[in-house]
Amino acid sequence: MTALEIKDLSHYYVKGKNVLNDVSLELDKGEILSILGPSGCGKTTLLRIIAGLEKETSGSVHMNDQIISDHYHTVLTENRNIGLVVQERALFPHLTIISNVMFGVSGSKTERYSTAMRLLKLFRVDRYAYNYPNEISSGEQQRVAIARAMAPNPKILLMDEPFGTLDQSLTNQLRVETRKILKDNNITAIIVSHDFDDALSMSDKVIVIEDGTVIQSGSAKDITHLSREKSVKFSSIKANT
Amino acid sequence: MRFSFWEITPLALFIIFIAPVAIVLFSLTGDYSDNWSHLYQYVLTRYILNTAYLVAGVSILVTVVGVGTAWLVTNYNFTGKNIFEWALILPLAVPPYILAYTFTGLFDTFGTANNLIRDVFDLGREFTFFPKVRNVPGAIVVFSFTLYPYVYLVSRMAFINQSRTMLEAGRTLGLNKFQTFYKLGVPMIRPAIIGGLMLVVMETISDFGAVDHFAISTFTTGVFRTWYGMYDIETAKQLASLLLIFAVTLILIERYSRRNASYSNAMSLYKPLYLTKLKGIPNTLAFLICFTPIFIGFLLPVMELLYWALNYKLDFFNDKFITTAWNTFYLALIAAFLCSLLAVIINFSIRYKSNNYLKVMSSFLTVGYAVPGLILAIGVMQMLTYFDQSFVSEFSNFVLTGSIIGLVLAYVIKSYALSSSTIEAGYQRINSRVDDVARTLKTSGWALLAQVHLPLLKTSFLTSMLLVVSEVIKELPATLILRPFNFDTLAVYTYIYAAEERMYDAAAPSIAIVMVGLIPIIILTRMIRTSRPASRY
Repeated sequence: MTALEIKDLSHYYVKGKNVLNDVSLELDKGEILSILGPSGCGKTTLLRIIAGLEKETSGSVHMNDQIISDHYHTVLTENRNIGLVVQERALFPHLTIISNVMFGVSGSKTERYSTAMRLLKLFRVDRYAYNYPNEISSGEQQRVAIARAMAPNPKILLMDEPFGTLDQSLTNQLRVETRKILKDNNITAIIVSHDFDDALSMSDKVIVIEDGTVIQSGSAKDITHLSREKSVKFSSIKANT
Repeated sequence: MRFSFWEITPLALFIIFIAPVAIVLFSLTGDYSDNWSHLYQYVLTRYILNTAYLVAGVSILVTVVGVGTAWLVTNYNFTGKNIFEWALILPLAVPPYILAYTFTGLFDTFGTANNLIRDVFDLGREFTFFPKVRNVPGAIVVFSFTLYPYVYLVSRMAFINQSRTMLEAGRTLGLNKFQTFYKLGVPMIRPAIIGGLMLVVMETISDFGAVDHFAISTFTTGVFRTWYGMYDIETAKQLASLLLIFAVTLILIERYSRRNASYSNAMSLYKPLYLTKLKGIPNTLAFLICFTPIFIGFLLPVMELLYWALNYKLDFFNDKFITTAWNTFYLALIAAFLCSLLAVIINFSIRYKSNNYLKVMSSFLTVGYAVPGLILAIGVMQMLTYFDQSFVSEFSNFVLTGSIIGLVLAYVIKSYALSSSTIEAGYQRINSRVDDVARTLKTSGWALLAQVHLPLLKTSFLTSMLLVVSEVIKELPATLILRPFNFDTLAVYTYIYAAEERMYDAAAPSIAIVMVGLIPIIILTRMIRTSRPASRY
């Protein structure tokens, strides 16, 4: 079954200046997709549209073969069962780490607690369960943010520049860890990044967007090969990393 | 198209907030009674001239005091400078009408100050050293020394943000220190000064207590007399409309000047100012220049009030005082809670719906701050009377009119701007991505507000409540008009005693008002300390 399908999606904020042009893509259950592109190319907008935080101007978004957004239908963000991880992490500063992860989980308190604790253990941050976000490092905060997004068992996990503010060694470590956890749990994920290495090391599929248009798509290997063979616009992406 | 609670509430509030003002303005389209010829022939010129003299005199004095002291504490190091930095705001805690009452008690023919001079120099009873204060120049002094902190605050913030390099460039081009001040320093912060000045002028033209006590005929006392003396509410409203048009013009000037206020701090090559150390006579002069406004605007009235309260009225802590204080506080708390809650709901709506019409609506809601209390009270009373006559009269007479509902409504409309700006500032500190993440975690609407925003806005909410409480406690004209029968607040209590020349009885409630008025000043001082770019200076 197709986990996510986007058909002919276009979007603008100011009429005549499209941020996205006829974007289409498909993602199967458990696949990890990277959306690559330079700053301002429209990749974050695409992610926000998938999350329901923006309404597309035209086109449609389907999840598990059901329309969640088109001209006639809009499933609200809170009903899409989507997880979101952002570069700023956006942990709730007034809640402890365990409360942050329990926040979106439904069920009894014991069930919510055990789900949250399991994920914190998975990301090796369970010892900070009763600390507040400002008491842990940025790498640990990022792990908590991913754990929180995964806790409600979302259909798709969206990650917007998830490692953007971390140093290189921590980024490398987190990429490996995160991919393993996503794959072990068969979670469908979309990673938005301007970092070529994020795409290569984490994803099964890659699409490259420039000026709101998909200029390349394929497996991570294909994209690397293509870029090497044809030198297609990857330079602009690399320059941003 | 379906509208949600978050879209309908701002619209409903807009109607409720604007209605009293619209009612007053609408009177201009009605009939003009014969009283207008009386007003026009005998008193209108005096109202206009006295108001104009007051505005002109106060503007000049507050600019000199506010800008001068701000320049001194920002650029020079002298005895007491660190204390003056915050103490210069203290007079804001003293409403003009309380300074007016203490001035009368101090400087009248047989007031404390003249008695002291007579005693010290053994002079006869006919000797009067201090000039009379119950006149326009006296009122100018009263308004100036209670309101100059508005200009001081904005000027100080603007001076702090001024870059040293620009002033140094002036010095290399041949300007001496004083010329650097008035040819460079002041012109560069002119928009900020105008903004602060407009607030002062708004407060001056809105005042009722001080000018009434000094028996000066201005627009506000005129509206009051037309209503309560001539029993002509329509003419009173028409007169109030003229004042309102003037107030609205001031808001527009203030907003316009604030829009340009950033040109002095937009410098990319910002360098903090060096403080020049003053010694000898310049040090003493700087000390005196900063000490005098604090002495006149805060220390003198507080000392006089304490002297009265402790020496003449030791039984001030009686049942009447406790009842009045309780009335004041619960009323202020209700208004403060409502104001803060509405501000949270409106600011949340704007953020949640990211809708431009809500933003425009919200900016209209803050206009009440500039509407003189007297005008607001007239509008609210007319609105409630209309509701009583149209809907409630079937069951009972005047349920809303003369109840505390009117009073609370007027307070909320008048103080909403304080709450809104505080909550808005609180919201600016919450990253919008927090909302995005919360929504993907199935939290939206009320749940988002209650579980995520409110805990993060706790401090802003409390600050907003404190600001409104202190504002409401000082409010006089609206309270005088709208209070229920036999219901006194501290401000009314003070006014009534002062009107009967029972200054000693007025002392205790006045002290309570000043004490509560200190709360926002403490908050303000802390906010300035944490916000300025060159805090170590």
